[in-house]
Amino acid sequence: MKIALVCLIAFALPVGAAELWVGSATADITPNPPVPLTGNTSVRIAREIESRLTANVLALESREGDRVLDQAIMVSCDLCVIRPGIQEGFRKHLAGRLAGFDMNKLFLAATHTHQAPVIQQDRYDEKDYEDALQPKEYVPWLYQRMGEAVVKAWENRAKGAVAWGLGHAVAGHNRRVVYSDGTAKMFGNTNDPRFRGIEGYEDHGVHVLCFYDARNRLQAVAMTLATTAQAACSGNKVSANFWDSARRRIRERHGAEVCVLGFCAPAGDQTPRPQLNKKAEERMQKLRDLNHCEEVGRRVAAAFDDVAGVIAKDIRADVPFVHRVRQIELPARIITEAEYAESKKICEEIDTRKTRLKTDAWKRHFHGLVVERYLAQQKGGWKTYPMELHVMRLGDVAMATNPFELFVDYGVQIEARSPAVQTFLIQLAATGSLPAYYVPTPRAVRGGGYSAEVTHNLVGPEGAQALVDRTVAEINELWKTSAKK
Amino acid sequence: MRTAILCLLVVLLTAIGLPAAELWVGGATVDITPDQPVGLDGFRNMRIAKEAATPITATALALESREGEKSLDAAIMVSCDIIAIRAGIQDKVREKLQGRLPGVDLRKIFLNATHTHSAPVTEDGKYALPETGVMKPSVYADFMTSRIADAIVQSWQNRKPGKVGWGQGQAVIAQNRRAVYADGTAKMYGATNVPEFRCLEGYEDHNLEVLFFGDPQNRLIATAINLACPSQEVGGNAIHADFWHPVREKLRERHGKDLFVLAWTGAGGDVVSRLMYGRAADERMRKLRGHVSRLDELARRIVNGWLDAYDGARNDIRSDVMLRHVVKDIELPYRKVTEEEVAEARKEAAKYATDPKQRWNYRWNQNVVERYEAQKAGTEKPFQMELHVLRLGDVAIATNPFELYTDYGVQMKARSPAIQTFVIQLACSSGGYLATERAVRGGGYGAVIQSNRVGPEGGQRLVDCTVQTLKELWKESAK
Repeated sequence: MKIALVCLIAFALPVGAAELWVGSATADITPNPPVPLTGNTSVRIAREIESRLTANVLALESREGDRVLDQAIMVSCDLCVIRPGIQEGFRKHLAGRLAGFDMNKLFLAATHTHQAPVIQQDRYDEKDYEDALQPKEYVPWLYQRMGEAVVKAWENRAKGAVAWGLGHAVAGHNRRVVYSDGTAKMFGNTNDPRFRGIEGYEDHGVHVLCFYDARNRLQAVAMTLATTAQAACSGNKVSANFWDSARRRIRERHGAEVCVLGFCAPAGDQTPRPQLNKKAEERMQKLRDLNHCEEVGRRVAAAFDDVAGVIAKDIRADVPFVHRVRQIELPARIITEAEYAESKKICEEIDTRKTRLKTDAWKRHFHGLVVERYLAQQKGGWKTYPMELHVMRLGDVAMATNPFELFVDYGVQIEARSPAVQTFLIQLAATGSLPAYYVPTPRAVRGGGYSAEVTHNLVGPEGAQALVDRTVAEINELWKTSAKK
Repeated sequence: MRTAILCLLVVLLTAIGLPAAELWVGGATVDITPDQPVGLDGFRNMRIAKEAATPITATALALESREGEKSLDAAIMVSCDIIAIRAGIQDKVREKLQGRLPGVDLRKIFLNATHTHSAPVTEDGKYALPETGVMKPSVYADFMTSRIADAIVQSWQNRKPGKVGWGQGQAVIAQNRRAVYADGTAKMYGATNVPEFRCLEGYEDHNLEVLFFGDPQNRLIATAINLACPSQEVGGNAIHADFWHPVREKLRERHGKDLFVLAWTGAGGDVVSRLMYGRAADERMRKLRGHVSRLDELARRIVNGWLDAYDGARNDIRSDVMLRHVVKDIELPYRKVTEEEVAEARKEAAKYATDPKQRWNYRWNQNVVERYEAQKAGTEKPFQMELHVLRLGDVAIATNPFELYTDYGVQMKARSPAIQTFVIQLACSSGGYLATERAVRGGGYGAVIQSNRVGPEGGQRLVDCTVQTLKELWKESAK
C-alpha cells in the first residue's frame, strides 16, 4: 500500500521541476542589394528590399540552484534552407564564445522564404550572380550577425517562464493536385475535368510557445505551423515573406521588443499558395486591401492573439526541460537503374550542350547527385542518410526537428503518437553535411511529380517511417525519463 | 473602325454589369421541436429523446429577382435541424404548399439538413420504436412538414427589396475521420496513436462561404453559412441542434434576435468535427478559455470565421444582382454490387433478420441483397436526384442529396466559373455516403457497398453535371 502511494505521488507531482532561464535576441541578416535569391531553378537578382530578413534566437537553460540541467539555443532564420555545412560552420564560428554551453545543443532552422540570399556558392552558376553579393561573401557576414545575436541571447538569459498553446490558421495548403490517371502535380491546375482531389491532408494547427521574463512580461514567442514562407508577395525582392507581416502585427499588439521565432512544421507538400478558391481569396484580399503575404501574416498573428491571452493564465516557471541530440541513420531512397539512366542522360545533355541555360547548374546538381548516389549504392554505399535529430521536452510540450521538407502526413503521425499535450515540430532544421530536400509519402511517390521524384528525395517513405518511429521513440523515452525523475 | 466600336461597346456593357434586377429577400424561422418523446435518427442503435437540450428549427430564405413588377426568378431554401431530408419529406412540404404560394414554381423550393444526430427520425420502420409513449416518425414528419410549409409561406410573404453580399472566411472545424493504415485499409474513427497509422485519408475544406442579406438600410436580416462539415458533435439522448444552436445564438446576440441563420452543410461525407488527434491540446485550451465546451468552441470558430468574412464583404453589398435558379432531375448510376459483397451482406442480414433491436443493421445489409437481385435481373433503375443550381451575383449554389466526400465538393468549387461556390449536401432527399475512389479502396464504414448507393462513377457524373450546369448558367447570364 505504502509503495503504491509513493508511486502515485511521484507520478502526480510535476516532473523534474527546475528553474527556466530564458534569453532572446534578434539579428538583422539583410544584405545590401543586389542579392542573388535562392529557392528556384535559376537564380534571381534582387535589387530591392521588401522586408528585412532576421535571425531570431532563443536560449533556454534549466537549472536546479547553480546546477545546469539542460540547455538549448534555437535560431529561426529567414532563409530558404540551412544548406550543408552552414550549421557546422556556425558552431565553429561560435567556438569559445558561449561559456558553459554545449555547442551540439544549438540548431538553426529556416523559414523557407524563397526571397533570401543564396548561401551556397555553387548552388547556381557563378556567372549568374552578376554584380550581386557572392554567397561566399554573405555567409561570413551572416555568421557574424547571427553570432552576435546568439551570444547576446545566451549572455542575457535570466530567470523566466513559459506557456504553451494551440491555435489555428488556414495558412498552408496542400500543393499536390491529383488527376484521374493517378498522377500528381505540384501546383497543378485544379480547374480541369481530370482533377480528382488534393493529394493529402492539411494541418492548420499553430503551436505557440510564449516566454516571459521574471515579471511575466512577454519576451519571446516561438511558433510552428505547417507551411513554408512562400506566399505570393513581391517577386524578386528580398523578403521575410509572411513572417514579416506576422511579426509586425504581433509586436504591435504585444510589445515592440518581442522576439518572434517562426518555425516551419512538416510541410513538404504545403505552401500558403491556395490551389482552390483562388478567385474568392483574391477578392477578399482586395476588399481588405492586403496582398497575399499580409493576409497570411494576418491569419498567423490572429491565431497567436487567440492563444496568447488564454495561455497567459497558465504561465509556468518550474517546468522540466530536457534536450537530446541524436545522430541517426535513415534508410536512403534506393535509385533504380531506369532512374539512373535518365539522370545520366540529362547530365550528358547538359554537359555537352553548347548554349548554357540558367537552370543548368540547378538541374545538373540534382541529376548528378542521382548518378553519384546510384553508383555508390551499387558498391554498397549511400544506403543510409545520416541526420542530426533534436528532441526536447519543455513542460508538457515535445519538440522535434528534422532537416527535410517532410510531407505533412509524417508530422501528423508524430503528433498523433506523441505522449505530449502538444508536439512542436520543426522541419528544415539542423542540417548536417548533406542536403536534405523533400521526403514524400507512399501516395506521393505513386503520384510522382516534382517533390516526389528520386532527384529530390534522398530519403523516401521507408526512411521517413524510420524517422517517425525514432522521433516517437525518443519522445516516449523523454517522457518516461522525465516521469522517473 | 465600326467593329472596334462595337467590340468596345460589348466590353463596356460587360464591364458595367449583367442585367440589373431588384433582389427581394424574406426570411422565417419555425420551431420544429416535438412536444413528445421521439426516436432519434443517425446511429445504429435506437435512442429515445424525452427532452430537448436546445430547440431544433427550420429557417426559410425566400429570394426573388424582379424587374419592376415582373418576377424574373425565385428560390426558397429551407435549412432544417434534422439528420437528412428523407424520401418523401420534400414532396410532402410541396404538397402542403399547393395553392398557398401564387405565382411560385414549387420546384424552386428545396430543403437541406444540417445532419444533427439529435433530431427525430422521420421514417417509420427504421428503428423498432415502442408502440406507445413515443411519437410515431410519420406523425412527427407530418408536424415538421407543416411547420416548414408555414415557414416557407411566411418567408415568401415577408419578402422585401433587399441587398446581398458574399464573403469567405475560414474556420477549422472539419476533421477527416478516416484513418489509413500501413496495409492500405481505412477506418472511420480509427486510432491514430498506433504505429500502423499512416495518414488521414483526404482533404478538408476549411473555407467558410457566407452570404449576407440586408434590408435597404443595410441592416443585416439573414445570413447563409456554408460549412463543409456536418453538425454531429453531440450524441446523447436529447433533442439538440448541435453546434448550429450556439452559432445562431452568438450571431443573434450581435445582429439582433430576428436574424435568420441558414446552416448549409458543404460536401463533407468524410469529415466531422470530432478530432482524430491532438485531443489533449484541444481539451487544455478549452479549459483555459474557461471550461468552454467543445460545442461552444466550434461555434466560436465559426462565428469568428463569419465575422472575418463579413468584415471584408460588408464593403461590397449589392442590390442589383442577378438571380437565376435551375432545377434538374438527373440520374446517376448505382454502385455495382459484387458477388463477394452480396455474399457478405446476405450473411450479415441473416444474422440480424429476427432481432427487432437490430433493424438498422438488417436493413443496411438487406438493401444490398435487394440491389444485387435487381442488378442481376436487369430491373435496377438509375439513382434519381433533384439538382438545384443557382447564380446569385458572383456566387454559385449547387445542391446534392448525399453525404458527399470532400473531394467532390472541392472539384465542383475548383471548376466552377463563380467567384464563390456554395455546395449544399443532404439537400432535397437522402442519398447516403458518396465515397471517392481512394475511400472505396480503403474500405470501412462510409465507403463499403452497404454505405454507398452511388459510387465514384456516379460521384464523377454528379460533379460533371453540376459544373456543366453552372457553366451554362454563367454563359446564359453573360448573354
